[in-house]
Amino acid sequence: MQQIWHILHTQGGEIVQSIGQHIGLSLISLLIAAVIAIPLAIILMNHQRLAKVMLQITSILQTIPSLALLGILIPLVGIGTVPSIIALVIYAVMPIFQNTYSGLTTIDPSLEEAATAFGLSRRMKLLRIELPLALPMIISGIRIAMVMIIGTATLAALIGAGGLGTYILLGIETNNNALLIIGAVLSAILALVFGAGIDWLGRLSFKKAGIVLATLVVLIGGFAGYRQLTNTQTTLTVAGKLGSEPEILINMYKDLIEHDHPNIKVNTKANFGATSFLFKALQSGSIDIYPEFTGTVLESLVKTKQSASHSPAKTYQLAKSALKSQYQMAYLKPMAYQNGYDLAVTRQFSKKYHVKTISDLIQVENRVHAGFDPDFNQQKDGYPGLRQAYGLKFASVKTMEPSIRYKAIANGKVNLVDGYTTDPEVQEYHLVVLKDDRHFFPPYQGAPLMSEKLLTDHPELRTTLNKLAGKVTTTDMQKMNYQVSVKHQKAAVVARDYLRSHGFLN
Amino acid sequence: MIEFKQVSKQYTEQLALDDLNLTIPTGDFFVLVGPSGSGKTTTLKMLNRLIEPTDGDIYFDNQRLIDYKLRDLRLQMGYVLQNIALFPNLTIQENIAIQAESLGWPRKERVARARALLEQVDLDPDQYATRMPSELSGGEQQRVGIIRALAIKPKVVLMDEPFSALDPLSRKQLQDLVLQLHRELKMTFVFVTHDMHEALRLGQHIAVMRLGHIQQVGTGEEIMHHPANEFVRGFFENEHTPRPATVQVLVSQGYGATTTTAATLPVTATVNELAAALKQGPVIVGTASGNRTLTTADLLDYLAQTEVE
Repeated sequence: MQQIWHILHTQGGEIVQSIGQHIGLSLISLLIAAVIAIPLAIILMNHQRLAKVMLQITSILQTIPSLALLGILIPLVGIGTVPSIIALVIYAVMPIFQNTYSGLTTIDPSLEEAATAFGLSRRMKLLRIELPLALPMIISGIRIAMVMIIGTATLAALIGAGGLGTYILLGIETNNNALLIIGAVLSAILALVFGAGIDWLGRLSFKKAGIVLATLVVLIGGFAGYRQLTNTQTTLTVAGKLGSEPEILINMYKDLIEHDHPNIKVNTKANFGATSFLFKALQSGSIDIYPEFTGTVLESLVKTKQSASHSPAKTYQLAKSALKSQYQMAYLKPMAYQNGYDLAVTRQFSKKYHVKTISDLIQVENRVHAGFDPDFNQQKDGYPGLRQAYGLKFASVKTMEPSIRYKAIANGKVNLVDGYTTDPEVQEYHLVVLKDDRHFFPPYQGAPLMSEKLLTDHPELRTTLNKLAGKVTTTDMQKMNYQVSVKHQKAAVVARDYLRSHGFLN
Repeated sequence: MIEFKQVSKQYTEQLALDDLNLTIPTGDFFVLVGPSGSGKTTTLKMLNRLIEPTDGDIYFDNQRLIDYKLRDLRLQMGYVLQNIALFPNLTIQENIAIQAESLGWPRKERVARARALLEQVDLDPDQYATRMPSELSGGEQQRVGIIRALAIKPKVVLMDEPFSALDPLSRKQLQDLVLQLHRELKMTFVFVTHDMHEALRLGQHIAVMRLGHIQQVGTGEEIMHHPANEFVRGFFENEHTPRPATVQVLVSQGYGATTTTAATLPVTATVNELAAALKQGPVIVGTASGNRTLTTADLLDYLAQTEVE
């Protein structure tokens, strides 16, 4: 609970921004869905067969799992806001259409007869009698659609459209229940608030409800237009993957670029999504720069015949030339720190048995009780490879979830764990990372990735971003990660403090 | 003047109207009466073309109905429905003026007309004009339903069993009201009912119908004294055979105060048995919804009311 207050206190601004994104995304989708579904129902109200076909189609669309739908949309329209809105609209059309249609077709036949017998025109009959009478049903359809949209919109974070889902995903990713709760509770509250809002709208007269809706359309449209207009200055979008480390890095990029080039404005998109989403976003031009690891490039982004080298410099060169030839992308020089697999022990263990490198473990292997991430325990570049490379065999190995692993070593249940070199828990639990003295683990170094075209248009970026090349040690990164993900400080502040204290900014 | 010339209506299963010939004089109060399935409502709804004939022609002021523009025709006719059908989303005033609105009358005139009509049927405009239909009693609603049909001063007012769902007292008042309105407004009223009693009370001319055929057309006097056939005679007499009323009828009309005292008379007892029992003082009857005390005053009220009917 305290953690939740702390996060709300320190990241209030970002959370409010996510709520804004979530509301924007939901309202735009809801409006588009209503604009499609209501007129469609009006057109089809006197064509029973066509309406049935339409109901079938919308029901089928409804059954597509939302993740699959997003997956289908990515190759067609890329990632970000557009596919999210399309997916949400597809979901929302059915309840609105269904309710509007049944609202219009279940009007008391004697009222229909009266309206006809009085010689009302088609238009007057619709506006004065049928739509107002169907309004409660229409409103409840909109309400159902809205609750669904607000819930489903949390998935938009997966494809970089932001919103409250960011916190849910981040919470799952980093096993941080406080973030998870904040994301989930806020979206539930949003659903309640908007439900009440729609009820209120439903109680207004037909005319007033129309005015409120029109005002909303104008406001949202105006806001979007305003943002378009203010975007005319050179703006770069720097995005990062889920987690604190990419967020710190992109804030460093932003500070450096804006410091050196006041005419460029940098937007940051933290927690934008997983690797493949970011890479696709970079390809499609929705983002301009993002920090990527050399090892990840070779493993999942480019096709390469050579197996990953254990030399950081070679890995970088290989990644750089593959990106250039296969994707026309520029990969600037990496920073000093490595974020790859490592093995860590407690300080006491290290002192007692004089263990500083992985080779040192060989003499004490019978005393080692390891706790490993299940992936690490199985992958070739994990424990099986490690055993071969060093000739190691530990007394016992347990597999456990990544976050539990650190708690297990802190409680003395195990005395050696795998991890990532920059994990903040190394600081938190006073662990010692063992040196990979035989260079078994493939190197993962972070470096800025962008299109070659961007670098041609803005050659000055190379000098600016290369200031970080070879800087930021593993310990530096651990400390900063600790500040952000354990102490809940703002990534932007932590990044700026680092840049200031190391003389990058004056 | 309205004329039906050899009009038939064939539904897939049955012949609803068979070679109907009928003349309704201008300014008449014309009643179509008959049991259900006689084709009386079909005949009425052909006048505003809610139902189209399969054969024959209907003339209105010497012009065939199908030669009128549909909307123009309907905007010359008022229509009162059996289940009233006030638009629940519109105020009383808006309901009354709906045809006027369709004709494009300015708002001021519409409001003035609605208020004048409300006043004419003893509903205070200040009190009723801006209420919603659900806030009115059934009788009040049907009054609004009637004046809604009169709002644009139509040439013809069509009424489809407008009073069949009302209680006897409201029915009587509304019958008086339409008679009065007919006298004052000099429009042609065409009225459908299954109640011979109502037909005799209202109609200047009556057409008795059965199974899509007209049995007899004439004034009430003619039909009463010279029924054309056995059916007309029987239909007329049925209306006059009094059914022995039971205590249940009184109870279901809301007479008597609820009580917890044990019942002294079953609800199946006749009114005569009730009268005999009342000589000893108030009577308790057991009903499904609890016991009720009936007094002599209740019986007298009930009898007085059935007499008006």
